[in-house]
Amino acid sequence: MIEAQNLTKRYGEKVAVDNINFSVAPGRVTGFLGPNGAGKSTTMRMILGLDRPTSGSVTVNGKPYAQHRAPLLEVGALLEAKAVHTGSSARNHLRALAATHGIGIKRVEEVIELTGLTDVARKRVGGFSLGMGQRLGIAAAMLGDPKTLVLDEPVNGLDPEGVKWVRTMVRYLASQGRTVFLSSHLMSEMAITADDIIVIGRGRIITSGSVKDIIDSSTTGSVKVRSPRATELAEALRQDGVTITSTEAEVLTVAGLEAAAIGDLAATRGIALHELTPLSASLEEAFMSLTAGEVEYHSEAMSAPAPDPTMEAVR
Amino acid sequence: MTAVATPDSVASVPTTAHVSFIHTLRSEWIKFLSVRSTAWVLAISILIMVGFSLMMAAGMTFATDPEMTGGEPLPADPSVGIMVATFGYSIGQIVLVVLGVMRISGEYATGQIRSSLAAVPRRLPVLAAKAVVVALASFVVGLVAVALATLVTTPILEPHGMAVDLSDGDAQRALLGVPLYLMAIALFSLGIGAMLRHTAGGIAAVIGVLMVLPIIGQINLDILQDIAPYLPSAAGERLITGDLAETVLTPWQGYLVLLAWVAAALIGAAVLLRRRDA
Repeated sequence: MIEAQNLTKRYGEKVAVDNINFSVAPGRVTGFLGPNGAGKSTTMRMILGLDRPTSGSVTVNGKPYAQHRAPLLEVGALLEAKAVHTGSSARNHLRALAATHGIGIKRVEEVIELTGLTDVARKRVGGFSLGMGQRLGIAAAMLGDPKTLVLDEPVNGLDPEGVKWVRTMVRYLASQGRTVFLSSHLMSEMAITADDIIVIGRGRIITSGSVKDIIDSSTTGSVKVRSPRATELAEALRQDGVTITSTEAEVLTVAGLEAAAIGDLAATRGIALHELTPLSASLEEAFMSLTAGEVEYHSEAMSAPAPDPTMEAVR
Repeated sequence: MTAVATPDSVASVPTTAHVSFIHTLRSEWIKFLSVRSTAWVLAISILIMVGFSLMMAAGMTFATDPEMTGGEPLPADPSVGIMVATFGYSIGQIVLVVLGVMRISGEYATGQIRSSLAAVPRRLPVLAAKAVVVALASFVVGLVAVALATLVTTPILEPHGMAVDLSDGDAQRALLGVPLYLMAIALFSLGIGAMLRHTAGGIAAVIGVLMVLPIIGQINLDILQDIAPYLPSAAGERLITGDLAETVLTPWQGYLVLLAWVAAALIGAAVLLRRRDA
């Protein structure tokens, strides 16, 4: 369980994290989604007590991270690939970290096995690929068999097999009742891996909720209609709250009307339909529309932003 | 790297596992030994120091030969033996400055520091454990070097009556002064390295304080001349060089002044380590 209250971080004039509140529940994979520079890494460093919040607080399993007697048993973290002395071997790096908690060599061998690093465990980390560095980071995170995992961009730099491995791993860890909090700027990856998502942009939480809710609520559903009498149909559909766009002949994209209503109306006019498809947005599109709203909101300098049905629906 | 391992739910993590200073010290010791440069640095500093003593011993035997000096030979004096045996400290300290600074700046350069501080989030035990490791390593290096230097130079100096008299109190103090001085210098370097968090900057700063400031102290200005004996290297060296003419501090007073510099550097490092983002 991770809970942030009014968490804020400023670097001089620049606000990296702007008064955010969120909680990350156990037993689920929670994605922390946002473009680069949105404040994801800063937030994660504050969770681990590496960066001091300018104001507000964040607790892990009920206490600030630094106040735990055995922090590695509470939270395992992957903060950046290869936060390791390049002259050290993977095995010695893990041994040194384990030693801080009096964790023995047996557990070190276990996490090496778990992350598939057996063959390279005695090699110097300086020669590791990014992918091996990520595996080593995850091995370090697992040392204390922690209740909570904080993983910053865990799939960054991994090959497809590695991506699949991380996905399987985090799903499994959450199924054991652990709290898993992972960040990414890859929306497609989040759609597959995460149960819940917290979307951050410019240091602010834009929205949060389950992946499905975010996709459903952040885009107004539209319907693709194909008809030989498209122009005539468009005339008939034109009314308040309905937007019709057309990118090719005989095809309309209708927003603001249910597919059933369009079909009924076409039937009463005797217009033949060759296709009637409700379009569902991808998480990626949802994300783009959400962050676009956030950018607009900022540039209009707080002066009564135009009511945006998308944003209202999300909040 | 090919197997997609399935996580094992049975983890060998004792429920009593927790952070303590002893655990942190063990961790720092593992890190110290697992970096390849450690062995090199320690070996090189011993080699350099013993090598310099040998060169000096050879030079001294020439100086006692009237044919070589072309006049008055150097009088037979055991204090020459002390000087010869301890001669390497001034060059050996440069290697230990590197060791002290890099023990922490290397972690900032590689990102290791974030792993270290996440494991021990109270932070100060990490610095304290590093200090213990650095102090122990530099003291042992100094002790081994001075012992070896005495051992190999005695047969060369003995025939000339210049060998160290180990029963002499001044000789004992000077010989023990080498490891004590080097330990303090390495700790001072650790403190500066922790404050600057940068290898090249840290080494330059410490070398500047140890070797460049004393030169400025020679400028004929009263204020500079008053400060000069209290600079870290000048004060600490009193333990090794013994009572020369015109000294302000006694050997042990001088060493206490050096320890005060060490304390200031480490306290500064501790305050900044607690306050700054990692």
